[in-house]
Amino acid sequence: MEQLLAVWVDALALEAPDGSTLRDTLSLLDALDAMCPFTEAVRLGLFVLPLRGPSRFFGGDAAVLAMVRQCVLDVVGGAPRRGVAEGLFCAELAAHREVIVPRGASDAFRRAQPLEVLGRKDLTTTCQRLGLHSVGAFADLERARVGERFNKHALTLHRVARGELSELEGQRDPRLARRLAQLRGEEEFFDEQQGFFGQRGAGDDRAEAAAHRVRRRLGADAIAVATLRGGRGPEDQGALVPWGSPESKTRDLAPWPGRLAAPSAATTLAHPAPVQLRDAANRPVVMDARGALSAEPAAVLFSSPLRREVVWHAGPWPLVERWWARHRRRAHLQLVLATGEALLMVAESSQWWLVGIYD
Amino acid sequence: MRPVALAKSRTLPLGEPWRALVPDAGLRRGSTVVVEAPVGLGGLSLALSLLSEASAQGHWAAVVGVDDPGVVAMVELGLDLRRVLFVPRPRGAWAESAADLLDGVDLVLVRPPSRAGLVAARRLMDRVRERGTVLIALSEPRAPWPLPADLFFRVTQAEWVASSKLDARYLTVHVSGRGEAQRGSEHVVVVPNRRGRAEAN
Repeated sequence: MEQLLAVWVDALALEAPDGSTLRDTLSLLDALDAMCPFTEAVRLGLFVLPLRGPSRFFGGDAAVLAMVRQCVLDVVGGAPRRGVAEGLFCAELAAHREVIVPRGASDAFRRAQPLEVLGRKDLTTTCQRLGLHSVGAFADLERARVGERFNKHALTLHRVARGELSELEGQRDPRLARRLAQLRGEEEFFDEQQGFFGQRGAGDDRAEAAAHRVRRRLGADAIAVATLRGGRGPEDQGALVPWGSPESKTRDLAPWPGRLAAPSAATTLAHPAPVQLRDAANRPVVMDARGALSAEPAAVLFSSPLRREVVWHAGPWPLVERWWARHRRRAHLQLVLATGEALLMVAESSQWWLVGIYD
Repeated sequence: MRPVALAKSRTLPLGEPWRALVPDAGLRRGSTVVVEAPVGLGGLSLALSLLSEASAQGHWAAVVGVDDPGVVAMVELGLDLRRVLFVPRPRGAWAESAADLLDGVDLVLVRPPSRAGLVAARRLMDRVRERGTVLIALSEPRAPWPLPADLFFRVTQAEWVASSKLDARYLTVHVSGRGEAQRGSEHVVVVPNRRGRAEAN
C-alpha cells in the first residue's frame, strides 16, 4: 500500500462562522498541491498526499516534511502535525502521534493502537470486558464471532482493524471537495440546468413532438439530451442521456476541483480511444507517479498506421480520483499537431487515451 | 428565464462575432448555412457558435450526426442545453432525422456521416424554406455540401494561441452568400477564446 503523508492543521479543524476556515483550507490545498500534486483535503483540518513522488523529486522524505511544514506556517500561521504511514487510517493516526512509520511497518503500527482509535465507545467497552485492549487484539477475533457479538458497524471496523479497509467510515468529508469548488467560483460556470421541461410553452410541445418522431424512426436511444455532472475532465462532465429517460429529467450538477480551464474540447469521446505517444527517439512517453513525462512528446500514433507529429504540448495536469481506494492516477495533456489539430489526452497507468478533439 | 413569447421574426439572432459579418445581422428563417472546414480545424466549434445566441434567447436547436459533442464546450459557447436535442448517431437516416426535427425546432445543425447526396440535400433545403427554420450543415472540403448555400462559412486557417495551456484559436473564415454577400469577405475570428466563447479578433 502507498505511503501517505498526512498533515493535521488544528487551526482549520473547526469551521469558523465567517467562512475563513474554508478559504484558508483552499489556500493551503492549492499551496500544497503546487508542490506535491495529488494533495487532497480529506476533511477540515486533514490533508494527505502520496509521499513517494514528491520524495524522489525533492530528495527525500525529510525534505518533503520540512517543505510541507513551512508551507503550512506560511499559509495558516501555525505548525501542523505530520505523520507518514500506509493507508488513510494509519496516516491520520501517525499525524496525530507525529510519527513516521517506516515502509512495511504500518500493520504493526495499527495493531499496537488502543481500541479508542476506532472511534466507537460501545465497541471499546465491550472489548475491554473481553480483555481486548488493542486494535490488533480486536483484529484477531474471528469474523464470525464479531458478527455474533457486535452490530454490522463493528464488522466494518473489524476490517479496518485487519487492514482490509484503509479508511475509517466518516474519516472523509465527501462534501468538502464540492464546497471548495464552489468557493473557487466554479458554480457560476455550471449555472443551474433545469429539467427537460421546466415551464412549458408551444415551442416545447413542437420539440417534443419532433423528438417522438425521431424516436419512432430510429429507436428509443436515438434521441438524446445533454447532461452535466461532476467530473474533473470535460469528458467526465458532460454526457448525452436518452431523451425521456429518468436521467434526462433529473440532470445532476456537481462541480469538482481540478476542472480543466476553458476552452473545452468541442468533441469529447464517450469511449476514449487508446493511442500511443512517442518521444523524438520513438520511445513511448510515460508519466511517472509524480505526474511528470518521461520525455517531450514528438508524435502520436492512432490505432491505424496513422502517425501525427506533435508540435506543442501542455500538462500533464493530474486528476485525483479515489486514489485512496484504488491506485488510479490520471492526468490530462493537451497536444497541438503539425496539422493544426488540437487534442486532449488522458494518461492512465502508462496508457494514453484520446478523450477530446478541439474541432 | 424563458422569453414569454417568441415573435416569429424574419431572422434568428446571431451572436458575436458573426452578427457584424452577415447580411441582416442574423440567420434568415428558411435559409441554409454551410460551414466547411478541414477535419479538426474548428468547423464544429464555429457551427455550434452560430447556434448559441438563438439558443440563449429561448429557441430550440437540434444537433444531428455529431457523435460525441463536447457538452462543456457547448455551455462555454453560450448554448442553453435545456433546449438542445441530439441525434448523435443517425446512421443512414441523418437526413430523415434532420427533416423530422426541422418541424419541431428552430435550428438544426447537421453533420452528414458521409458525403451528402444531392437529393437529400435538396429535400432538406426545401423543407427548411417551407418551415421557416434554419439548417446549418457542417461539411469538409473533401465531402462538400452539394448545393449552394444562402450563407457559406469556409475555414481556411486555424491557429492556436497557447500559454501553459491552450488559450484561444484564431480562425480565418471566408464568409459569402447570396445577393449582396455573394463576393464574400475574409475575417479572422477567435473561436474559442479563453472563456470558450466566440468573439471578434
